Amino acid sequence: MLLSKLNKITLALVMTLFLGACATQQKVTVPSPSSGPTDDAYTGTETVKFLADGVPDRVFFATNKSDLTTAASATLAKQATYLKANPTLNVVLEGHADERGTREYNLALGERRATAAKNYLISNGIAANRIKVISYGKEKPANPASNALAWSQNRRAVTVKTN
Amino acid sequence: MKYNILKIFFLFFLITSKSFALVSVDITRGNLDPLPVAISNFYFDVNIDGNLKKTNIENKIPELIQNNLTRSGLFFALDKKSFIQKPEVAHNKPRFEDWSFIKAQVLVTGKISLEKDERLKVEFKLWDVVSATELSALAFYTTPDNWRRVGHLISDKIYERLTGEKGYFDTRIIYVAETGPKVNKKKRLAVMDQDGFGVKYLTLGNEIVLTPRFSPTNQLVTYMSYYKNLPRVYLLNIETGLQDLVGDFPGMTFAPRFSSDGKKIIMSFAQEGNSDIYTMDIKTRVVEKLTDHPSIDTSPSYSPDGTQIAFNSDRSGFQQIYIMKSDGTNVKRISFGDGLYGTPVWSPRGDLIAFTKLYRNKFYIGVMRSDGSGERLLTENYYQEAPSWAPNGRVLIFYRETASDTAGRGGGAKLLSIDLTGYNERLISTETDASDPSWSGLLSAK
Amino acid sequence: MQKSLKISFIGHFVILIISSITLPFLMGKVQAPLVISVDLVQIGDRTNIPYAPKVLDGEKTDKKTKDRIVTNQAPPKIVPKEKPDAVPLPENIKQIKELLEKRQNPVKVENLDKQTSEFEKKEIFDPNKISALIDKSKKDNAETEKKTSLEVTQSQQKNVVVSKLTITQEDAIKAQIFKCWNIPIGLPYNENLTVKVRIKLNPDGSLISSEILDQSRMNAGGQTYYKILAESALRAVKLCNPLKVPSTEYEKWKEMQLNFDAKEMLKG
Repeated sequence: MLLSKLNKITLALVMTLFLGACATQQKVTVPSPSSGPTDDAYTGTETVKFLADGVPDRVFFATNKSDLTTAASATLAKQATYLKANPTLNVVLEGHADERGTREYNLALGERRATAAKNYLISNGIAANRIKVISYGKEKPANPASNALAWSQNRRAVTVKTN
Repeated sequence: MKYNILKIFFLFFLITSKSFALVSVDITRGNLDPLPVAISNFYFDVNIDGNLKKTNIENKIPELIQNNLTRSGLFFALDKKSFIQKPEVAHNKPRFEDWSFIKAQVLVTGKISLEKDERLKVEFKLWDVVSATELSALAFYTTPDNWRRVGHLISDKIYERLTGEKGYFDTRIIYVAETGPKVNKKKRLAVMDQDGFGVKYLTLGNEIVLTPRFSPTNQLVTYMSYYKNLPRVYLLNIETGLQDLVGDFPGMTFAPRFSSDGKKIIMSFAQEGNSDIYTMDIKTRVVEKLTDHPSIDTSPSYSPDGTQIAFNSDRSGFQQIYIMKSDGTNVKRISFGDGLYGTPVWSPRGDLIAFTKLYRNKFYIGVMRSDGSGERLLTENYYQEAPSWAPNGRVLIFYRETASDTAGRGGGAKLLSIDLTGYNERLISTETDASDPSWSGLLSAK
Repeated sequence: MQKSLKISFIGHFVILIISSITLPFLMGKVQAPLVISVDLVQIGDRTNIPYAPKVLDGEKTDKKTKDRIVTNQAPPKIVPKEKPDAVPLPENIKQIKELLEKRQNPVKVENLDKQTSEFEKKEIFDPNKISALIDKSKKDNAETEKKTSLEVTQSQQKNVVVSKLTITQEDAIKAQIFKCWNIPIGLPYNENLTVKVRIKLNPDGSLISSEILDQSRMNAGGQTYYKILAESALRAVKLCNPLKVPSTEYEKWKEMQLNFDAKEMLKG
């Protein structure tokens, strides 16, 4: 009884996983860069580190958004190329939110952002088992200030090497 | 027959109307000042030995009671210097005129004696000074080092007798103690008495811990931890220190809370960019999925009768509050005001839902009825969230962060409590910064 | 010199060893199975007060006995005597209960009864007193009782009022009581509570008596708020004693009914 229930749950999870992958791939193949007045994603280079020469480690998001901007997609494309060139390298994608949201929602939002970045890498040919995802919500700001610039720098997904 | 009854009625009516031929005056106004209370020092019985006398608890217990009652905002404690009668005399036979004279309306007195088995007997009496009557008299037995708890129990009894509501002083708060720089805060679970005393740290701070919540049964706490970099929901027995992973999920679980009967944990599980709400039965470990929607569904909170669940979802495009039946059906959005809504928490009385609201870059703590009507915002600030109800449903505790400067200085998190009316906002001082408070039930109730 | 150096060396070595054992950060990550690094904080002695400070009023004894059993399930350290070391199994609970009862309960309760019997008579919760009050009110206000049984509403009463104060006179009375009445601000604003108090006055305005008209409600179950409001109303009347009254027409105001209603104030 219990077992069958658990089975069902795993089945459901696997299904959602597939569905989720489909959905995000669609998003990637038909890129819809969020633009307009609500687009307050950070575009500068402050706080950005590099996985390798010319390969930025992070992408930025607009307030409350988790879809990839054109700039973010470009950065992730570079990361994908780099990861292909270094096939033994594994990464973890850390999703973050700014401090202007409730803690629990921000955890979910960070996970959604990291997953968006992860799915882009997967759709660019990186094996899913090389990428892990973790959300820190608003717990680990890159810039501790309380202003719009800092918030934009904190709405991010950071690719971190794990080996 | 019918006639007879009518006749009797008529007769009655005549009599009553005659006797009620008196002037009737409606008193619809009065003053809303806190009730003036005189809390006399207690006194030691003759059998108390020197060591106990040194503890000074005959003054400390009344002081603690005074502190509790004053912080509730409903009482005003009169200055002890103005007291005329000695504690001993007052306790046995107060001269009400002496207490009326200093404008006290009620009086608290007490006596501490030692039992043969070394336990203390703490006796208190509550007097209505104006009507010259005793309102209640109770005694508690305890060990001498447990005097604080006795003080809280007495405070609860006084509060209940004078307001008609259960008190909330014999309770504790679990929270996250924060230290270190903003970019890399050390976070530890901590628990303290409701008045901020007796802090105990439950974790060392090696990993981030978030959102601890008390079980209604008090012994258990559920919280989220990044232990081994795997963000998961844990169950912790704060008395034994034993803990356990909640469920076996292949990804992040977060936003845990107990069901009102304490038997289940309800939480979110995030996978592939989608967070849904699950429950786990603590005993059987059976996991159930309640929401199935590509949006973020989080911050679930059971109604006290367990039939409904309030939660936070952005299925409309933005964070709003929804309710559903406890089986996950009948999902209904209840927040429709301007702005974003989060962290719904059902009141222990069942009629209200407390929430956090973000509107025009300000954060509010507010309450609304469970159908979404009657929204009232209690407090506005730069950042504040995570309300948690006192067990009597009259007071909320939450945390607030102020803006930090460009170097990340300032902006530490503080705990505050506020009355349901929006009055009486009070800082609860903690030795470190503090966030994510959760109020326990009455310790004596279970 | 040599000796002190030796001592110093050994001392430092010992400190180093102790700190390397006790300081968690020197050990690297603690890899305890399932258990996060948690201090075993002894909160037990706080939550589980050995003799859970118990209320010693006779009525609640039963409940408290139960409480004590619950709190004894996780025994604190303070009183190891007669305490089980582990959570008692169901079959043990009864034993413990008996033990506890034998040890402290009956004697103590009786004791307190004796000591506070004087007050218990006065206690408003006391059933004896309640019945006494009811008896008294029956005697004094037979009509009142009938009136309530007929459920005459306030507006109806107003219709049958034969004598009336002028508006100025009434306002003068009101203004005085307003100042004396500390509304219990913890009362819920959404409940319909009106407390009627009948007062009898001397010609100089001093109070002869004051009583709650709906006395039966004072001690009825679930009417706690009513009782709290009634007590505050009685205090208000007494605090206003003596009332400043009109110099004439004593017959008109020698008895008055004051209807205390805090709803408006509590809402505002």
